[in-house]
Amino acid sequence: MLASDTKLLPAVGFLTVIEHPEHGFFGGFLVLNAMARPLEFHCTAPVRPNRAQEILYGTTLRPFLIGEHIGNALVQKAKTKIQLICTDLEPAIAVRNVNSTPVILLCSNSEEGESSTPVPRALRVDERHPEVPATSRPLVRFQLGTHEVAIPDAYEADRTAVEKCFKVCDGTLDLTEPFERIREAIEEAQKSAR
Amino acid sequence: MKRLKKHRNQLADQRSAGSFAVMKNQNRPFATVPIHLSASELGFRVNNFSTGLQTALGRLPKTEVESADLALFAPRTVSVNVRSSAIKIGSFTFPESAEFLQDADSKFCRDDKKSQGTQQVAAASKLAKRSTRIKPPNDVVKLQDRLYYLLQPPLESLLATNSLQFQFQPFPYQYEGVAFLFSRYSAILADEMGLGKTIQAITAIRILLRSGEMRRVLMICPKPLVTNWQREFKIWAPEIPVAVIEGDQSKRRWQWENPIAPVKIANYELLMRDRCCVVDKQIDFDLVVLDEAQRIKNRNSTTSQVVRAVSRKRSWALTGTPIENSPDDLVGIFEFLSPGYLNSDMQPRKMAGAIRDYVLRRTKDQVLSDMPPKLFRDAEVTLTPEQWSSYETAENEGVINLADLGAELTIQHVFELVLRLKQICNFDPATGASAKMERLEADLEEVVASGKKAIVFSQWVRTLEKIHERLQRFGPLQYHGKVPSKHRDRVIERFKEDPRHSVILMSYGAGSVGLNLQFCEYVFLFDRWWNPAVEDQAINRAHRIGVAGPVTVSRMLVRDTIEERINQVLEEKREMFASIFSENAPPRSSGMSQEEIFGLFDLQIQKSSQTNAA
Repeated sequence: MLASDTKLLPAVGFLTVIEHPEHGFFGGFLVLNAMARPLEFHCTAPVRPNRAQEILYGTTLRPFLIGEHIGNALVQKAKTKIQLICTDLEPAIAVRNVNSTPVILLCSNSEEGESSTPVPRALRVDERHPEVPATSRPLVRFQLGTHEVAIPDAYEADRTAVEKCFKVCDGTLDLTEPFERIREAIEEAQKSAR
Repeated sequence: MKRLKKHRNQLADQRSAGSFAVMKNQNRPFATVPIHLSASELGFRVNNFSTGLQTALGRLPKTEVESADLALFAPRTVSVNVRSSAIKIGSFTFPESAEFLQDADSKFCRDDKKSQGTQQVAAASKLAKRSTRIKPPNDVVKLQDRLYYLLQPPLESLLATNSLQFQFQPFPYQYEGVAFLFSRYSAILADEMGLGKTIQAITAIRILLRSGEMRRVLMICPKPLVTNWQREFKIWAPEIPVAVIEGDQSKRRWQWENPIAPVKIANYELLMRDRCCVVDKQIDFDLVVLDEAQRIKNRNSTTSQVVRAVSRKRSWALTGTPIENSPDDLVGIFEFLSPGYLNSDMQPRKMAGAIRDYVLRRTKDQVLSDMPPKLFRDAEVTLTPEQWSSYETAENEGVINLADLGAELTIQHVFELVLRLKQICNFDPATGASAKMERLEADLEEVVASGKKAIVFSQWVRTLEKIHERLQRFGPLQYHGKVPSKHRDRVIERFKEDPRHSVILMSYGAGSVGLNLQFCEYVFLFDRWWNPAVEDQAINRAHRIGVAGPVTVSRMLVRDTIEERINQVLEEKREMFASIFSENAPPRSSGMSQEEIFGLFDLQIQKSSQTNAA
């Protein structure tokens, strides 16, 4: 593979958010080339939902905050044309609602289990709401190489593009590993900010 | 009729009560009740008494009317903004030059490679389980630079996905060593001998060259190791062209001045001769690597001065013995890495803390738990009567002579006596008798009978020659200063491949560094060197990665002689070294001081004799 060829290969974005009990949510977005080398990194200052958001967004707060708000802000910052966004958090998949780039959820580390929690009949506005799926419709799961991934069925048409993109990167891009890098980088950025 | 009357009465009561109800309803703010008044014939008799009430009853009740507005008040409203404010985002972009220079378009390309796509996929998935991350060193402070290192993929995947393959899979600790070097501009790789510093350095160089972060590398090593480095580059980085600086002066000048290869190898002695080409003309290197960096431990030596004057961006030092005699040796090496960072006045504890981020030191015990052990055996012998006689005479006369020298006594005089006594411990100069030789022959009989091979070390070529004469039946080979450099590789090959040669005789100077003799399972130290680091290097020619079984090290030691006293000093030095590179133990400052050397003969040091010790 020529060095110049790597520029023709797709760039993949990796999106995750770390929740800190005191400071709030830290978002990180890492753009890698097909050889898994970093091209761009964007991270947020801590984001905290206000009380009104907590009450009024209710069960949709996390998809809104993680996916549409933080996720979208990060994705918008990327200068490289990204062909696929990969996330390990189910709420982050909501970024697809406000962005046209296909988004996949890695199922192994996702928060999907939370969505199966039974929802109580009566909800109090002043208590924490149970998690609900980022999208109102179920996810479509499928195998991508060795990874089990999911996309919202509202965007099932993305699947072809996802598979095509992954086929080009297969063997060179580990979809799970970059999240570790993002978490370390967020921590490093926060350390330097203190 | 009665019933009808009763009904009328009820109606009259109700009406009367109705007017009363109106009175009560005046208190209701929003209701207006219509009031109907009428006169009725009561139709029954009454007796009037003059109570004054009749008049009052004849008056119409007084009525007040009040109006109320039924319109509702406008409610107060409060708006809550549920949209969040803009998020602060830090953005970092990384250079495109970080793309790997692949074989096909690289000037570096030496070997054509077949397509490795499938192998690449397999390698990547195989390596995915192991993950060695590159960490930024502490002296990198800019966040952008720190993130650049942190966000690199694990080393294993970096190598696998860029077709950087190896003939042999490196050990996990070797990946860690590569990651350590990759991000450092100043570093000492101080792994114990035999752990593969060479492969770690070559791999780090390979990645940095292939990623376009470096273009010009100068490797400086002792002369006997030049061919070894060439060979190792061929094994571990076959696509990287390597040029050895050699030949006559004009050829060398041309080699120095032209970009003949990304990696140039030069030996220390040659660098000294070519200082005008390298230093004066300011030839610039991206990286200078010093192999056996203890060669520059003395800051005032010409070697150190010339090496330090080479223009470079990165400085790496490779040595298994960063401290040979005292912590000052480390200060000397750091003058090359980061001048002024350490100084001789530093407390050992402070020095240990200061070097932590620059030095990577692992021992075999730490990283190779499954490596066959190294078994030490102190082969204590007693001098033959002939040797005793010579020894006692030499010692008594020598000590008397030293005492007579008084203020003129120097460390050189003491050394001469030590060397004389050590030689007698090896062979009696008059008769050739040797207790050590007898022991060595007996041991070698056993070694050779079991089909094994052995290395015998001595500090003197003359001693090795004598041993050679006595061991003819074992087909001994010699590897020392008298053997021309161009023949040395051949000697090693013969020893390795020819079963008739069971023993190789080596001097500490020529055979202690850079050689891979892991097929030998027995090492004999016929006499002892001055510092334990050189001895360890010698032993580790055999006890290194790839060794098949335990390595038995026999240290020949003559009882009740100078050798016992030297052994004691060597043990103290080992302790001192361990304390500097141990995180827990407080470092000691003991080394081979002049006092100790003089103390071998209970002599007092004279002020005029203050010179550097060994």
